[in-house]
Amino acid sequence: MMTRFRIDLQDLLFGLFLVAVATGTLVATRNLTVGHAADMGPGYMPRVVALALLGFGLFFTGRGFWGTGRGIAAVELRPLLAILASVGVFALAAERLGLAIVSVVTVVFASLATREGRLLETVPFAVALSGAAVLLFVKLLGLPIPIWPR
Amino acid sequence: MDLFNNLLMGLSTALELNNLLFCLIGVVIGTAIGVLPGIGPIPTVALLLPFTFGLSPASAMIMLAGIFYGAQYGGSTTAILVNVPGETSSVVTCIDGHEMAKQGRAGTALAIAAIASFFAGTMATIVIAVLSVPLSILALKFTAVEYFSLLVLGLIAAVVLAHGSVAKSLAMVLLGLLLGLVGIDVSSGVARMTFGIAALSDGLDFVPIAMGLFGLGEIIANLERPAERRVVGQSIRSLIPGIADLRAAFPAMVRGTALGSVLGVLPGGGAALPPFSSYALEKKLARDPSRFGKGAIEGVAGPEAANNAGAQTSFIPLLTLGIPANALMALMIGALMMQGIQPGPQIMTEQPKLVWGVIASMWVGNLMLLVINLPLIGLWVSMLKIPYRLLFPAIVLFCCIGTYGIANSLFNVWLMMGCAMVGYFFIKVGVEPAPLLLGLVLGPQLEENFRRAMLIADGDFTVFLSRPISAAILGVVATLLLAMLSPQIVKTRKEALAE
Repeated sequence: MMTRFRIDLQDLLFGLFLVAVATGTLVATRNLTVGHAADMGPGYMPRVVALALLGFGLFFTGRGFWGTGRGIAAVELRPLLAILASVGVFALAAERLGLAIVSVVTVVFASLATREGRLLETVPFAVALSGAAVLLFVKLLGLPIPIWPR
Repeated sequence: MDLFNNLLMGLSTALELNNLLFCLIGVVIGTAIGVLPGIGPIPTVALLLPFTFGLSPASAMIMLAGIFYGAQYGGSTTAILVNVPGETSSVVTCIDGHEMAKQGRAGTALAIAAIASFFAGTMATIVIAVLSVPLSILALKFTAVEYFSLLVLGLIAAVVLAHGSVAKSLAMVLLGLLLGLVGIDVSSGVARMTFGIAALSDGLDFVPIAMGLFGLGEIIANLERPAERRVVGQSIRSLIPGIADLRAAFPAMVRGTALGSVLGVLPGGGAALPPFSSYALEKKLARDPSRFGKGAIEGVAGPEAANNAGAQTSFIPLLTLGIPANALMALMIGALMMQGIQPGPQIMTEQPKLVWGVIASMWVGNLMLLVINLPLIGLWVSMLKIPYRLLFPAIVLFCCIGTYGIANSLFNVWLMMGCAMVGYFFIKVGVEPAPLLLGLVLGPQLEENFRRAMLIADGDFTVFLSRPISAAILGVVATLLLAMLSPQIVKTRKEALAE
C-alpha cells in the first residue's frame, strides 16, 4: 500500500526521531560549559554525541526520502494503549491504593490488550497474582510499599 | 598449575551451599523463561536484578549467568516440540528438531539437544579458564587510553557483528551514550539533562529502560501478531538416543562447540550467530545435504552445541576485561556496578573469587540442567500450555513491581512506560534496541576514560595512536569498519545472519 510513495517510512521516522532527540539535547545542554579537549567541561561529551546523532538523523531522513517505498506494519492501538495504561495505572495508584488493589487493576488493564481475555477468567487470576505479588515482594523481599490503601 | 588452582578456587566458591542454591534457582528460572515464548532473557534478567541486591556479588552473578545459559537450553525444548523458538538462539533448532518430533523422535531430539548443550558447556568452561589468564595479564597493562580504545572496540564490534543495519546500530549506540550522560557530571558536579527532576541526578537506571524496550515493547508487538501453539501430540517415548544417533551427532557436536566458542567471544555475536553458522557448516559438510530440514540429527546437535558454547564464552570479555559482548552482558555489568564492583581490566586480579566462581558455576549449572531437563521434560511441556493471554499480564505486573523495587521510585515506572513506547516504535521502524543498552551502560566509563586520557595527554588526540596497544585496538576497529564497506563481506554477513 506504500508503493505509491517512494518514501521509506522506516528510515524516515527513525531519522526524524534522531533529529528530534539531538536537537532536544543541544537545547537542553546549551548552558553547560564545553571547555576544550585537555580540560573538558560537562557540556563537551553531550555536545559531541548530540552532533553525531544529528548527523545520523539527517542521513536517515535523507535516505528515507529516496527510499525503496518500504512501509511500516499497521499500528494496532488496542495492545499499545492497554499495556501503557496498565503501567500508568500502576504508577499513579501504587503508593495510594496499595499493592494488593493496584496489582488486580494493573493485570485487568493489561489483559484488555487482547480480545481473547475473558473477565471471568481474568479477575480470579488477577486476584491470585496480587496475592502472590504481596507475599513475594512485601513479605519476603520487604519492599516498602503499602499493601492496603492508607 | 595455575589454571588448575584457579578452577579449584572457583569450584570451592561455586560449591558453597548458597551458591549451589542460587545457581539452581537461576537455571530453573532460565529454563522456564526459555521454554515460554513471549519474554526473552534480557527483560528477565532486568526483572530479577532487584532480587540479587541482597546477595553477595558472586551469588548474584552465578544466578544471573544461570538464567542466561538456562534460557538458551530451555528454548530448544519449545523449538523441538512446538516449532516456536522460545528464544532467538533456538530458531535453527526448530528446523530439524521439530521435524524429528513429527517423525516420532521427539525424545531423541530432546536428548541430543541436552547432551550437545552439556558437552559444549563443559568444553566452553575449559576454554574460558584457559583464555582468561593471558587476557587478564594483558589487561593489567591498560591505562585510561587503552581502556577507552577497548571500549570503542567493544561497541563497534558489537554493532558490526550483530544483525541489522550497521548505520542504525551505530546510531543506537550513540543514543545509548547520550542517555548514559544524563545525571550529575562527576567532575564538575553540574546537572546534565536532568530537567530539574531529582530522580535523574544519579543518572538513568538501566533496568526500567531494558524492561521497557525489550520486555513491554516486545509484548505489545507480540500481541499484534497472534501466534498459535501446537505441542506435538504424541508422548515422548524414549529419551535414550541409540548408538547410531550418537555416532552421527558427535562430530557435529564437536564442530558446533568449537565454532560456538570462537563466535561467542566476539562481541555482538550474541545468541543468533553461533547456531546459524553451525547449521550452515553442518549442511555444507554433510554427504547428503538434502536430509537437512527433514529431521537430520546433526542439524540439532551442531547448533545446540554452538548455541550453548557461545552463550558461555560470551562471558570472557566481561570476566577478563570488564567489557560486555552483548546487551545481556551489559546488564551483568550493571549488576556488578550495583554491587559496588567497578568492572574493568582489573576485575580478574581484584575479584578472583568472583570471576572463577562464576566460571566454575557454569559447569555446575550445566550439570544441573542435564538433570533438570531430561527427567522433568513433562513439567516443561505442561508449562507450554499456559496461554499467552494469562502470561503477559503477569509479566507486565512483575515488570511494574520490579522496576519500582530497584529504587522504590515511581519515576522508574514512568520511565519504563516511556521506554515501552519507544521500544514499540523501534520495532516498527526495524531497529534493534540491543546496541542502545550497550551504549547506556558503557557511556559513563567511556566518558570518564576519555576525559582522563585527554587530561594525561594534555588534549592531544594522537595519544590513542602513539601507544602501541591502543593503536592496535583502534586498528582492529578501523579494519572492522572498513570491512563493512566491502560489498563481498556485506553479502556474506547478510547470508550468515539471514533468518
